[in-house]
Amino acid sequence: MRFAGTLEIAAPRERVWQFVTDPLAVSKCAPDVQSVEVIDPRHFKVVARAGVGPIRATFNLDVVFTELVSPERAIVRARGQAPGSAVEMLSTMALAAAPGDRTTMEWSSDVTVTGTIAQVGARLMQGTADKLTKQVFACIKSTLET
Amino acid sequence: MAVDIGGIGHSVKRKEDARFIRGRGNYVDDKKLPGMLYLDIARSPYAHAKILKIDTSKALAIPGVAAVITGNDLVPLKLAWMPTLMGDQQMVLPTDTVMYQSQEVAAVVATERYIAADGAAAIEVEYEPLPVIVDPKKALQPDAFVLRPDRKEKSNHIWHWETGDRAGTDEAFRKAEVTVKEEIYIPRIHVSSIETCGIVASFDKVEGQLTVWMTTQAPHAIRTVIALVAGHLGLAEHKIRVISPDIGGGFGGKVPVYPGYVLAIGASVLTGRPVKWVEDRSENIQADSFARDYHITAEVAAKKDGTVEALRVKTIADHGAFDAAANPSKFPAGLFHIITGSYPFKKAFVEVDGAYTNKPPGGIAYRCSFRVTEAAFTIERLMDTLAHKIGKDPADLRLQNFIPPAAFPYQSALGWEYDSGDYGRALRLAMDKVDYAALRKEQLEKRKKGELMGIGISSFTEIVGAGPSKHFDILGIKMFDSCEIRVHPTGKAIVRLGVKSQGQGHETTFGQIVAEELGIPVADIMVEEGDTDTAPYGLGTYASRSTPVAGAATAIAARKIREKGRLIAAHLLEASPDDVEWKDYKYQVKGVPAKSKTMQEVAFAAYTNHPQGMEAGLEAVDYYDPPNLTYPFGSYICVVDIDRGTGEVKIRRFVAVDDCGTVINPMIVEGQVHGGLTMGLAPALYEQITYDEDGNIQGGNFMDYLLPTAMETPNWETERTVTPSPHHPIGAKGIGESATVGAPAAIANAVVDALAHLGVTHIDIPITPWKVQAILKAKGVAE
Repeated sequence: MRFAGTLEIAAPRERVWQFVTDPLAVSKCAPDVQSVEVIDPRHFKVVARAGVGPIRATFNLDVVFTELVSPERAIVRARGQAPGSAVEMLSTMALAAAPGDRTTMEWSSDVTVTGTIAQVGARLMQGTADKLTKQVFACIKSTLET
Repeated sequence: MAVDIGGIGHSVKRKEDARFIRGRGNYVDDKKLPGMLYLDIARSPYAHAKILKIDTSKALAIPGVAAVITGNDLVPLKLAWMPTLMGDQQMVLPTDTVMYQSQEVAAVVATERYIAADGAAAIEVEYEPLPVIVDPKKALQPDAFVLRPDRKEKSNHIWHWETGDRAGTDEAFRKAEVTVKEEIYIPRIHVSSIETCGIVASFDKVEGQLTVWMTTQAPHAIRTVIALVAGHLGLAEHKIRVISPDIGGGFGGKVPVYPGYVLAIGASVLTGRPVKWVEDRSENIQADSFARDYHITAEVAAKKDGTVEALRVKTIADHGAFDAAANPSKFPAGLFHIITGSYPFKKAFVEVDGAYTNKPPGGIAYRCSFRVTEAAFTIERLMDTLAHKIGKDPADLRLQNFIPPAAFPYQSALGWEYDSGDYGRALRLAMDKVDYAALRKEQLEKRKKGELMGIGISSFTEIVGAGPSKHFDILGIKMFDSCEIRVHPTGKAIVRLGVKSQGQGHETTFGQIVAEELGIPVADIMVEEGDTDTAPYGLGTYASRSTPVAGAATAIAARKIREKGRLIAAHLLEASPDDVEWKDYKYQVKGVPAKSKTMQEVAFAAYTNHPQGMEAGLEAVDYYDPPNLTYPFGSYICVVDIDRGTGEVKIRRFVAVDDCGTVINPMIVEGQVHGGLTMGLAPALYEQITYDEDGNIQGGNFMDYLLPTAMETPNWETERTVTPSPHHPIGAKGIGESATVGAPAAIANAVVDALAHLGVTHIDIPITPWKVQAILKAKGVAE
């Protein structure tokens, strides 16, 4: 599954960059995150619950920034598993300064889900992932704009 | 008399049902032994990935977890891989790579079933995903990722097999007046037997004795395989006892050796305690042996009048990650070359290429190793395509072409010798029963009104009873089968067989053969199967082989007893043996019916008053090597109506005429046909397992895999003709799989027939409402 979008945030680029590359900060915007453990600034471990409808599982995710070009560009790879399921995510983000101390964020994400969740929830997965993504970005925007 | 004793041809009520309907069956999961441990399996979420690390510490920390087994634990035991029946090898547990989703990765043994499951969930595996190939055509491309680096051949091509006359067939196609061609995909399906697979393994460390209760259709073969594969661990064949108790449906899915069996046996040997493994439904559908998955290109060459001349077939067979079918050694594509079907093709050529993909191994179930369903579906679809092309009624085209009764024994272009058949009689009976002419008239009228109604025919020829030793072996073991009969002093008997019922009613039908041959009432005969310590060696029950092979052994063993009994009867009657004949189920002095002895009197004498110089007792054994296969056949006619709004196919009528030669028990045959028809309906309209591009199984549970129930199943109308097999001792041919082989084409043909006037020539099964609706929309006739 591939998702992509553009987001206009009423906050300066430096501040957006600080926020979205800080695992402890940005993870507050992801639903059902249970813990974040920072191994080093580029590598952290996340425990999160996710699923489709009633099929839910706790994922142990290994998250790595494979590219960090401050303050404009980042690539993050997340890979994780729950019993019987696995998820693989490669996300890119580009920040551009916009007039009036605003920031334009272009993002895209390739998500591969395998195992029980993909089998049982195949028909609902796209919709669920879409909803989750919207929630995350709405949260990022509103947090940064307040 | 015959009615009283329940001999051949009588609808004797199934003896085994007395326990089944009372819930007193005895299945593997009913087995509980003191100190028994439970095994559960952690499976791969990835269809293809490197294993970087397996952490078992959290699982081992759970109270009650006795052991965790990984691939690396099996390496020193030389058990990480096991041989398949096809000369390939298959992982028991992976050491570095997983090859398909839901593949076994590690096993947990615990004191309770739930603790074992918790343990399996607590195993942490680090994977590095690898490229996934789920399409065998992509797998065979030269630049495809090589899925099996353990093999010498660095490609995903497993084998090429061909038979027939390539040059002669090509020549016939060049000269042909008419040719037709179809691309047919027969999708992957699963047997979904209601009882899943399981085992209880119990190793006695003191005696070195291994006893296993196991859902297997071939207990003797399994015992030999265990001895061959684990002989180096001290498991010798005389100290291995395999018991196949009551089985809730096999359909080929219980022929293979699954890793779970090996792990349970290994765990019992290691712990010295009994270990039970019973898989759940999703494990059963997702990881056990599949059926079909054949990509077929088939062409027929014919004269303008429709007389068939040549058949050319090219197939890609998706075998999954390991080649683990259960074919006779000589035939990697099974009996696929029965594909000339009921028609006298002069030339034919068939080739099949096997390919590896990231899917579970198998290809055994539903006549699948033997590939007869695929063959029957293809030829029966093509006959309709040909009829449509030359503007002939499909019934007329078949009647015009059938191999005539006088041509039997018939030598097919691809090398089979059909034993007997009267295909025209079966089709005409089906046409009468369904009132074919009236249906065609109705169809014409409905078409004028825009209504969609179709009539489909399938006049299939089956090939069963593997098999003659000159052609058939599995792992070198010839495919004979056996029966041992012991008549007790009071005239009752025990019959033991090398085959194993999974619901077919052997305890009744094999008793009926003995009743017919020996005049012992079927109620006085106990049939016992499935215990390798007591039953004579046999290859087991699959591919409709029990009646053709073990049924023949039963009749021959009974005749050996009858012959000895004649000598005893002569002794009792004070007559010369030459003057004593077997008539009306007893021994009579020729021409003096009053002077007679029953089998019961003879049996008593065999233990109390046998002639001097003769061995006491009355028993016999026969290992039967059939001289040929048997060729059951039938003609099915299906009538469908199609809903132009929803695309739903509704089966209005389905008439099935079967000919399985001599019928032992008409009620059981009818039951077999009803079950088989439902299992033919399933892939035609409902069942399939597909995979997304990441190798995720779509259809891996009963929420997504639509098994037909009584709600979906139409009223089956059955009829029969009887054309006995000339070479079988009682003329029986076998019926187990005819209906599942013949039905899909009848249904598909009916749907295509309903849409033929719109230019539709083929629809791949399963013909779902979604597919039909898309066609109706494309043709502008959707409501």
